[in-house]
Parts: sequence; structure tokens; C-alpha cells
Amino acid sequence: MFALDIQGMGKSFKGKKRQVVEALQGLNLSIEQGEVFGFLGPNGAGKSTTIKCLMGLIKPTYGTATIMGEPIGSVASRMKVGFLPENPAFYDYLSAEEYLLFVGGIFKMSTALLARRTEEMLKLLELWDARKRPMRGYSKGMVQRVGLAQVLLHDPDLYILDEPMSGLDPLGRALVKNIIIDLKKRGKSVFFSTHITDDVEKVCDRVGVINKGQLLALDSVDHILQQGIEGYVVNITTVAGLREESFVTKSDLQIFIQRAISNQCLIEKIQPRRKDMEAFFLEIVAR
Amino acid sequence: MFAIIQITLKGIFRDRVFQGIMVLAVLFLFIPSAASLSMRQVTELSITLSLSLISFILLLLSVFLGATSLWKDMERRYTFSVVSLPISRSSYLLGRFFGLALFIVLTSVILGAAGCLVIKICSGIYPPDRPVVWGYLVLAIGFATLKYILLVGVALLLSTVSTSFFLPVFGTICAFLASGVTQQVYEYVNSPIALQVVSPFFKPTVTLLYYLLPNLAGFDLNVNAIYSIAPDQSGLLLTVVYFVAYTAILMGGATLIFGHREMK
Repeated sequence: MFALDIQGMGKSFKGKKRQVVEALQGLNLSIEQGEVFGFLGPNGAGKSTTIKCLMGLIKPTYGTATIMGEPIGSVASRMKVGFLPENPAFYDYLSAEEYLLFVGGIFKMSTALLARRTEEMLKLLELWDARKRPMRGYSKGMVQRVGLAQVLLHDPDLYILDEPMSGLDPLGRALVKNIIIDLKKRGKSVFFSTHITDDVEKVCDRVGVINKGQLLALDSVDHILQQGIEGYVVNITTVAGLREESFVTKSDLQIFIQRAISNQCLIEKIQPRRKDMEAFFLEIVAR
Repeated sequence: MFAIIQITLKGIFRDRVFQGIMVLAVLFLFIPSAASLSMRQVTELSITLSLSLISFILLLLSVFLGATSLWKDMERRYTFSVVSLPISRSSYLLGRFFGLALFIVLTSVILGAAGCLVIKICSGIYPPDRPVVWGYLVLAIGFATLKYILLVGVALLLSTVSTSFFLPVFGTICAFLASGVTQQVYEYVNSPIALQVVSPFFKPTVTLLYYLLPNLAGFDLNVNAIYSIAPDQSGLLLTVVYFVAYTAILMGGATLIFGHREMK
């Protein structure tokens, strides 16, 4: 069973002057259990539309999808997922603690477990000192962390996060990345959208690039980075003791090494020079 | 749904609109002195003023809290976080309704108690011609409560179809104003006198509006409470049945519309 399985899902909206806007066009995507998947795309690409369809906030015009085997839009599917909306907003008259207790109640968590998990989450996300204060006094980053706390609270098997790092300072971003890495270690599935390629490169197993409602690329991060190798930077020390650094293309590497050995040079270091995820993303989107 | 009811109540009690409206309850303190300005029927006047003040506060609360509750959630994007939790949209909406209804009941109890205290003081100082029948007074407050709960239902229904603040607020106020006269207009249009003056198109329109708009005339038991007149029991039963049926239709419509609404 896939953690997330999307089959030919599409969504169209009526735009200005009754013009039909295809926000999502026949998306096919499956996320394995235990996989961290990065959904990459520029602003307005269809990332949030996909996520809103998955969470039952909007209904897809066509196609189907399941979350842990349950059809999207059902209460059962939402029971099995932790969802963080983009720029989350929570009842600002409640404190973070009250909100987490409210969320836990909806997830039907036992009182003892809820109290323990609430404390753990508030401490993990550095909200413990502010737990009693109404959220109307929180900064954007703090609200985002409350969002993450409510996502992690009931320890689901699948996490759907819409731009989880937006609004966070570098420390907050590092915290979120560590949380995602930790979830991966614990065999949880994570589907998160972002337009920041660095986030994807560091934490994801696979990546999908979406633009104008169409999935343009779907590949593993390792494969993309491997494919992106343009050549190698080789550091050698000659017989005379001189240190040299050369750039060698992929095809010339073998010959270069053989020549260096035959000339009794010492090969100090071979380092691949590659296009990063950002270059890959820009190349796909520009097509 | 219980969690939503709790959240609704917390939200109202911490809302400045509620706190502002409840300041009006201070006016209860002035009722004995205002009633004593009358040369006679001081107790009757204190009952009238008390019931009117309760009614006015409940009207403001039901219109503003009922009409803004759902709208505020959508406007401030709270619904994204809540509707994506494992709770059905109907449970969310009904939770909101029952939360607001419970709040209206609690407010009526508090205001009713304050009103009864004021009337007791007035009747002690200026004994009335007819003894105050407390049961009728409680009935009048109870039916006023039902009336405003029904109005909350109207406000919620209008909130589900609208993206702006204006339709729920002004729609509810219009529905409230119309609800007081629908019965009289309907009876006039169907009377023999109206046959010659009312156009054939007007009569079915009035009939349609009569059934469509809430008829709140039956909920007004103020006269019974003021003059200690026993209310018609079958009429009361019919009003309760009307309240249940009309509220059920309103909330049924609201949940249907809200269930299909897209949270863009």
C-alpha cells in the first residue's frame, strides 16, 4: 500500500471572464511508505492546489487519490495524516497549549497521552515558555512552529506539509529539516511542497517538479545529483613536487588518471563538480 | 463536535464584541428608577423594560456573533487548519451552531436572573395590580431565547453562502425585521378586503416569502408576562415544533452548502 497514491488528478477553476484555469492537469504520483518526497515548483505551479485536494479542502475536478489506502476527503484519510497548511493560522484567542489539546481531542487521543505529547511537542518546538500566551501575540515563526507541533502531535504515518520552512529563521529551518530527517529514520512518510531547492536536496529521497499544473520531472535526489555531474576537479602533485588542480570532463577522467599515473604524479583528490538541485529545477521549469 | 462547541464558547467569551455588548447589561441597574418615573403600572413597566433589554442584547449577540463566527474563521483562514482535521464539515458547522446556541442560553439565564431581580425589587416597592406570574416571565424569556437561536441559524446559513461580512449581518437583520410582520402581511393578503387591491402576482410571492422567511411572531410572549395572561398551551407547543423544524431545515441547508464549499 502506498502512503499516498494520486491517479490522474486534475483541478480547474473558473477564472476572470469565466475563463477556465487548469490548476492541475492529470497528476499521477505515488509515495512509498517511509519515503520523504519533495514537491518542487515555482509559485502558482499547482503545489498547494494538489495539497488542498488531498486534504479535502477543495474537490478535484477529475481523478482519484488515496491516503494510506483511504479515499481523499474522508474523515478516515485525515485521521492518518498530519497536515500543515501554507502560512498556517490558528484560533488566535487560544494559547498554543489549548490549541494542541483541542487538536488532540479531535484525534481522539487519550487524556494522559495527549498531556504527555503536548508537553513533548511544546518543548521540541521551543514553545514551552509561551505555551500559556494567546497565539495572537505570537510571531509568524512561532505560529509556524505551533503548526508543526499539531502535525507531530498524534504521530501519524504520513505528513503533508505545505511550505513547512516558510517564515522560519535559519535556526527554525534547521529544526524543521532535523525533524523531517528524524521522521525518515522512524519510517514515516513525508510529502512536502517547497520552492527552495536546498531543502529538497538535503532531506528528500525523491523529488517531483511541477509547473503550470503538470508534473514535469520525477526522480530520486541521488539520481538527479549523479546525472548532474559535469566533470571532476582533480588535485595532483607532480614528480617535481608541484601541486596542480585540473578540471576534467566525465569522458576524459579515465585517460587523465592513466596519464597522471604514468607520469608518476600523486593524485591527491578527485571531486565531482555538479549542477545542484537548483540548476536542475531551473532547467526543468525553463523547458 | 464537543471540541468545536468548547472552542466556540472560548472564542465568544474572549471576543471584544461580546464584551462590548454585555456592557449593555449595566442598563438593568437603571430599570427600577426609569420605571418609577411612571405614575402607575411601575412593575408592568419594569417587566417591559427588562424583557426589551434582554431581547435587544440577545438580538445583537445573535446577529453579530452568529454572522461573524463562520465568516471570521474563513476570513482569517482558521478553517484551513480545522476542516483538514479528522472532523466532518457538518460536525464543524453544527458544533459552531450548538456552541452559539449554548452561549445564547447561558446569556439568557444570566440576563433573565438579573431581570427577575430588578422586577422583584420594583414589585416590592410598587406592588402591582395583578400579581407577577414568574412562570410566564420565564416562558417569555425562554421563547425569546429560542427566537434568537433560530436567528443564529439564519446567520450561519447566510455565512455559508457568502464570502463577505455584509450578507450574513444585513441578511440576518432583514430576516429579523421581516419575521415580525410576515404573519400580518400574509393574513392581510389572504383576507377578503385584499382581493380587490392585491395583484394576482403579489399573493403567491407573499405566500412564498411567508413560508420561506422565519415567522417569529409566535415567540413573543411579552404581553403574557407583563399582564399575567396565561399563554395558549397548544400555541406554545406549535411554536416549539416550528422552532425545531425550521432550525433543522436551516442547519440542513447550511451543512449541505458548507459541505460543498471550496476552501481556496
